[in-house]
Amino acid sequence: MLVVLLSPFLWLLQMSFKTNDLILQFPPPLFFAPTLEHYRALLSSAFSASFLNSLLSASFSTAFALLLGVPAAYALSKWKGGSRHALGFAILATRMAPPIAFTIPFFLFYRWIGLLDTVTGLVLVYTSFNLPLVIWMMQPFFETLPPSLEEAALVDGARTRTVFLLIVLPMVAPGIAATAILCFLYAWNDFFFALILTRTNARTAPVAVVNFMNYEGWEWGKIAAGGSLVMAPVLVFSLAVRRYLVSGLTAGAVKG
Amino acid sequence: MIGGSSAAKGSIDADRRSFGRWALAPSLIVLLLVAGLPTLYLLATSLTPYQFVNPGSSTDFSAPLRNYRLLPGDPRFVNSLWVQAKLSFWGVLFQVLLGMLLALLLNVNSRFVEFARTFFLIPMVLPPIVVAVIWKLIYTPDISPLYYAASLLNFTMPSLTSSVDFALTAIIIADTWEWLPFTFLMVLAALQTIPDEYSEAALVDGANALQIFFYVTLPFITPILVISGMFRLIDSVKAFPLIFLLTGGGPGSVTEVTNYYAYLLAFDFNEIGYSSAVTVVLLLLVLAVSLGVIWMGRRREAMV
Repeated sequence: MLVVLLSPFLWLLQMSFKTNDLILQFPPPLFFAPTLEHYRALLSSAFSASFLNSLLSASFSTAFALLLGVPAAYALSKWKGGSRHALGFAILATRMAPPIAFTIPFFLFYRWIGLLDTVTGLVLVYTSFNLPLVIWMMQPFFETLPPSLEEAALVDGARTRTVFLLIVLPMVAPGIAATAILCFLYAWNDFFFALILTRTNARTAPVAVVNFMNYEGWEWGKIAAGGSLVMAPVLVFSLAVRRYLVSGLTAGAVKG
Repeated sequence: MIGGSSAAKGSIDADRRSFGRWALAPSLIVLLLVAGLPTLYLLATSLTPYQFVNPGSSTDFSAPLRNYRLLPGDPRFVNSLWVQAKLSFWGVLFQVLLGMLLALLLNVNSRFVEFARTFFLIPMVLPPIVVAVIWKLIYTPDISPLYYAASLLNFTMPSLTSSVDFALTAIIIADTWEWLPFTFLMVLAALQTIPDEYSEAALVDGANALQIFFYVTLPFITPILVISGMFRLIDSVKAFPLIFLLTGGGPGSVTEVTNYYAYLLAFDFNEIGYSSAVTVVLLLLVLAVSLGVIWMGRRREAMV
């Protein structure tokens, strides 16, 4: 059953190691000498620049979202009352909104200030969904910390920010790591924003793969290899955070 | 002495409050800038007849509701809502049913099954565009193993993605493959919280497996089925990469969902103002469903 369910995925993977002639050959040979020619061709083409763009925009937006969002989540976790629910809903709404709702205003604004087709532009857009994700994901981690620990340090005269930096942060490090990976994956997986907000300079890997189809003929080997490269980091990372996948996807509305 | 300690407590509280402000303020400001302002901008644009070819029209608020008045009479818009409804309905239905079935089958305590479950998650975490590429391979007759298998059985498959009858089905199949792991994961988590005593007691009373499912298991997991279905419903609006790559909304407008229509309007036809109005309607629909999810999530929390 597992093999049947995953067969579409495995088909793409095996194709990326076949020569173009072999891809068109039916019945498909059970064994074949794998080739790395498509991967090599990709590395020496513009695709590597796109891959770098993906890497940069995903990393920077993750770092930016963590820098802003982690302290905010800590402050919120100490907060009680209705305004917290209101903020919670606002955060959830940004998670639910279809991307096109943000794409049109961002496109108009970027066209005006010249941020179209820049990695900076992508980082800002990705922050619109990564920052809410960080604030939402991190709160439960702070809530599970024993309050006595912080209080002891506070009574001893330490400032709140010292306690936060030196005592609280190291204790939630695993939570930060999981959140960071999810942020990175969401930004990495984005196709829609990158399709509209970039052209050539800041083109990301997912968009580049699609361009192999539309503009450069149907080079299936290259497409398969490109697709495999785009999904490689995702597979590695997501297995590491699979415990948090559900709470990330549902933005905490369900405790998975 | 007593006064001294309350003064210390007061200064701790003050310090904590000021820290709270400094910790929250940057996030709130950035959220307003990257999410709040764009939403307002979208609303404002939806009240104008803005087109790229006509820059002056971006601030023309002389007939603010013109776009919204046009919507009900636009057959492509009405059709797109209908296509979205069909896609969402069948997609969510299959994902919830199959996800539940898979979860029931794999709710076994064994090392191997636990190990295998991890691999079931792959389709969900793949970049959506890679999922679209994968299904593009499968739906392209020259290189598709599916078409080859069909030809071995002396059966000529119609071209799925360019056929009026099958294009939407092709999208639904791919979407179901991609998101089945999500419902599977949610239902599995719910199944694992059912106390064993329930089904054991039912067994003692002479219930068969089917009865246990309908009277013990199903009532227990119904809330999570509904909630995961609603989440899929909300996200089914975002099936953009599949449609973009597999059918491009075609043939005709058979697979043109509202999201895709808004995309075409803005970035192919340059009708920014009108596209914004379509998007606002879509946004309101999504928000309405989201409120439903939150309401149900709260109710469920209150129940437990």
